[in-house]
Amino acid sequence: MVSPKIACVAASLLLSFGGIAAAHHSGAAYDMEHPRDMEGTVKTVNWTNPHITFVVEADAKDGQPAQTFAFEVSSPGVLTRSGWTKRSLQPGDHAVFHYAPLRDGNPGGFLLRVKLQSGQELSFSLQPSDE
Amino acid sequence: MKMVLPKFAIFCIALALSVGAGLHCVTAAPADFDGVWIPDVKDQHRQETGNVPPWKPEIVPQVQRLIAEEKAGRPFLVLSHCLPHGMPTWMLISHNAFEWLTTPGRVTMLGEVDGNRMRRIYTDGRALPEDPDLTLHGYSIGHWEGDVLVVNTSAIVPQAYIAISEAVGIPNNGDMHVVERLHLAKPNELHDDLEITAPKVLTAPWKTTRIFKRYPDRHYEIVEGECEQEDLIPGKDAYGNDIFVSHPQRPDGSVSTTK
Repeated sequence: MVSPKIACVAASLLLSFGGIAAAHHSGAAYDMEHPRDMEGTVKTVNWTNPHITFVVEADAKDGQPAQTFAFEVSSPGVLTRSGWTKRSLQPGDHAVFHYAPLRDGNPGGFLLRVKLQSGQELSFSLQPSDE
Repeated sequence: MKMVLPKFAIFCIALALSVGAGLHCVTAAPADFDGVWIPDVKDQHRQETGNVPPWKPEIVPQVQRLIAEEKAGRPFLVLSHCLPHGMPTWMLISHNAFEWLTTPGRVTMLGEVDGNRMRRIYTDGRALPEDPDLTLHGYSIGHWEGDVLVVNTSAIVPQAYIAISEAVGIPNNGDMHVVERLHLAKPNELHDDLEITAPKVLTAPWKTTRIFKRYPDRHYEIVEGECEQEDLIPGKDAYGNDIFVSHPQRPDGSVSTTK
């Protein structure tokens, strides 16, 4: 369970994320102006530099077959300082993923935030707010 | 009287030595830079267009091409290789934190993006070695001028980038020299005033400043850094021991770096 404090911090971090490109390398491969949501189950967690990646199996619905998405997100250091642990998102977790899609149309993108079934929201900021 | 003078002389010498020693300590590290520093990324982005390096004419088309590639959604990945950032790129564009450690005779900067992201700045009065091995971070010596740590870095490999963003960087091509003036603009705001001399790619020394912030109340720490990029994942050996096993590269269509 996430504490209200962490949820509040995550929300404020999300607000401060606007306009900042992906950490560690340019986010130009992603369409930051048109974020999307998808639902799915985490298959693989790669908690590594230069970027963490999550492989997510999208829910099959509306006659569409299940599809594998690959999400890139910032680095272990940035996520740790934003309140995540290596175990915040684990294989088997079902969640809603808010992401900037890949411009080339492949399934995946740059992950912006995650809403777990518990209601917990996970987000991050490259730079702490000065509040 | 004969006994008094020597005692007085000894007292004066001891006083002078103790004052000298005290001054030496103050000179060694007059300001408190220790702690975890997080780059001001928003300011980094402002600098991308607000203060561009004086590239040589023959370098400008390369820079323009990299900028165009990024705008087209095909960014060149300056940092995709898991090598240390190198100097001065670490100070210029890193989004990750570093820890500053002051110990007698040296300052150590520890980064967190892989296992050996480290700068040593020697403050023990040594000179630059006459024929040093070249490295990505170069050889740094520093001295205090009041509350400012002045650092000279040379012996940097020619492949080390001068990067203005994570998608735009030009190798220095050799003979680069970096002078930094590190000082606290506020108690928890570190400014690194850099002057980068790179005669193979710049027409004149490039002066720029990077800002880092410290948040002592939040107890931030740098994290363990590795950069295996999914090459290894947890698994078992034949005995059932927990080991890391080789992982074929991106069978799942991972979006991470294209080299």
